[in-house]
Amino acid sequence: MRTPRKSLRAVLALGALGAAITLTACGGGDTVGGASDNKAEVAEPGPPVDGEFNISTWVGYIDKGDGNTISKFEEEYPGTNVNYTEDVNDNSDFFGKVQPLLDEGESGGRSMFVVTDWMAKQMNDLGYLQEIDYADVPNVDANLKDSLRSPSFDPDRKFSIPWQSGMTGLLVNERLAPDVNSVNDLFDPKYKGKVTVLTEMRDTVPLLLKADGIDPEDATKQDWLDEIDRLQGAVDSGQLRRFTGNDYVQDLTNENVVAAIGWSGDIALIANDSVDWRMPTTGCIIWSDNMVIPVGAPNTAAALAWADFAYDPEIQAPISDYVRYVSPVEGIEKVNPALAKDPLVNPSDEFTADCSTQPNPPGSAEDVQEVTEAFQAVITQ
Amino acid sequence: MTTRRRLIPYWLLAPGAIWLALFFVVPMYFMGELALRSGTFTEGFESAFQISNFSDALSGHTNQVVRSFVYAGTATLIALLIAYPLAYAIALRAGRWRLLLLFAVIAPFFTTYLIRTIAWKTILADDSPVVSVLQALQLVPEDGRVLATGGAVIAGLTYNFLPFMILPIYASLERMDTGLIEAGKDLYASSTQTFLRVTLPITAPGIVAGVLLTFIPAVGDYVNAEILGGTGTAMIGNVIQSLYLEQRNYPEAAALSFLMMLAILIVVLIYLRVAGSGAFMGDEDERRA
Repeated sequence: MRTPRKSLRAVLALGALGAAITLTACGGGDTVGGASDNKAEVAEPGPPVDGEFNISTWVGYIDKGDGNTISKFEEEYPGTNVNYTEDVNDNSDFFGKVQPLLDEGESGGRSMFVVTDWMAKQMNDLGYLQEIDYADVPNVDANLKDSLRSPSFDPDRKFSIPWQSGMTGLLVNERLAPDVNSVNDLFDPKYKGKVTVLTEMRDTVPLLLKADGIDPEDATKQDWLDEIDRLQGAVDSGQLRRFTGNDYVQDLTNENVVAAIGWSGDIALIANDSVDWRMPTTGCIIWSDNMVIPVGAPNTAAALAWADFAYDPEIQAPISDYVRYVSPVEGIEKVNPALAKDPLVNPSDEFTADCSTQPNPPGSAEDVQEVTEAFQAVITQ
Repeated sequence: MTTRRRLIPYWLLAPGAIWLALFFVVPMYFMGELALRSGTFTEGFESAFQISNFSDALSGHTNQVVRSFVYAGTATLIALLIAYPLAYAIALRAGRWRLLLLFAVIAPFFTTYLIRTIAWKTILADDSPVVSVLQALQLVPEDGRVLATGGAVIAGLTYNFLPFMILPIYASLERMDTGLIEAGKDLYASSTQTFLRVTLPITAPGIVAGVLLTFIPAVGDYVNAEILGGTGTAMIGNVIQSLYLEQRNYPEAAALSFLMMLAILIVVLIYLRVAGSGAFMGDEDERRA
């Protein structure tokens, strides 16, 4: 029985040779990651607006049911097919998934992402986004709220258009945890194993800083690391049940969790009347999730048309009514006066007086990496 | 004619060998190459021969490595204890119900892995009947919980990989010559003796295969700890996910993946050594030949 064994070796050798050839062709020596040299292009507008339109976004960010926004859009632009995918649960996680594609100038067939301010900036810094010409989105130009027109991360709104804004604060079961009013109350031993915080470091840590009386704007790297230590302590004692994204909805609905750090509009997703969103006594974190058009995006015409469509107050009002986040569009109250009274959709300046804009950890890229690693070490205990 | 015949094994092996080369050897090379790079994500990872990635990957993650093996080992053991009697009953006692029962074992596969795991969140919810019973039996403290603990992760692993344990054991029991059991009895062996000396050795290859098919995917599993776990229950898959997607430390993630494969390989080799590789490779056939 010699021959088969010999053949086996020969075939293996052949395979190895093939592998070697493939490797040479691919070239193992290139740099992996790092900023690309992609030059920012301006997204190509329509007409025509038709074909497949793929958008990646967060759960609970659009109205559902008969006559919803997606079907209205497809009616407005016949021949368009919107593939609306809720595959963003965490900015970093989503970025990790698409980054290798973006690095090659591809978007994986997606025409649009919806990501938070800091992530939009990070993507733009790496050359992964296309610029937007406001002549192509007249509704945005006309109806974007003044307060959102020049955020520090994108002063001219060149590459980002807000989809919804929101507040990070407390989701509380009023019946089971009536006295949770401050972020510090989450650490009360009587709620041991019944509280969760977010995997989004830029939400969780700044809220802890504020609860300790530190303005996130002035916080040092050490302040961030100290708050991460505090989380570590709460993990060790069994106080914290989990670190979550939007997936806290199930635990809050069936009362496995009585209080959590959470996003304001998610109250619309939680089918439990006892649960409410509370403004922490020390204030909230304010952010926006933005529509961005990645490099290599197919059908940018549909992406621009979609952004413009959503900024028509007639279209925006039902979205806002359903998702209950802070709408970036001026004039929805005229369409639906009830929205003016909802503090989650239309918070007054007094209501958000103590809130801070979502910060990045201070310092250089290395400092940010150090803080990120410390936070991740706590999550993946 | 002879040359042609001699070439046949090559052709038969070629698809498998090409498959292995393309989808195992090539990715392994890239992973190994990535594991030795140095740098940061923003500046790019340059080719280097940075062996320290391996020690960095391991330091600070020993807890999760040990935990992965403990969770997977426990789940495998529980699965074996459930699977063997079940497979025995289906193969030798079920009669005309055999096909139906076998179908019942496979039926959960018609639902996706993720949905089945999420369903366990409801089964193990804090105020669920299951948890109340466990509390009444004092297996869980009165104010304790199951969900978001290591116990829930082990339960999920056991449930999700159980069919991989049942099927090989069933196959080996099903093709066993039941005359051998009668022969054992004829030689005045008790039921227990017959089981230990006849049935168990004959079905050993099925057990070995079942243990490997359960243990190996369970060690690297990421979903159960992510969905059913809480704080302090991360397995090595969750650490690799965090290193790769959240911290974007590609070299360390690759190094840890490599070390994990190596660790599994070592454990499996030791296991086969102890269990006897013959049992797995089918020395039955060799004996016959």
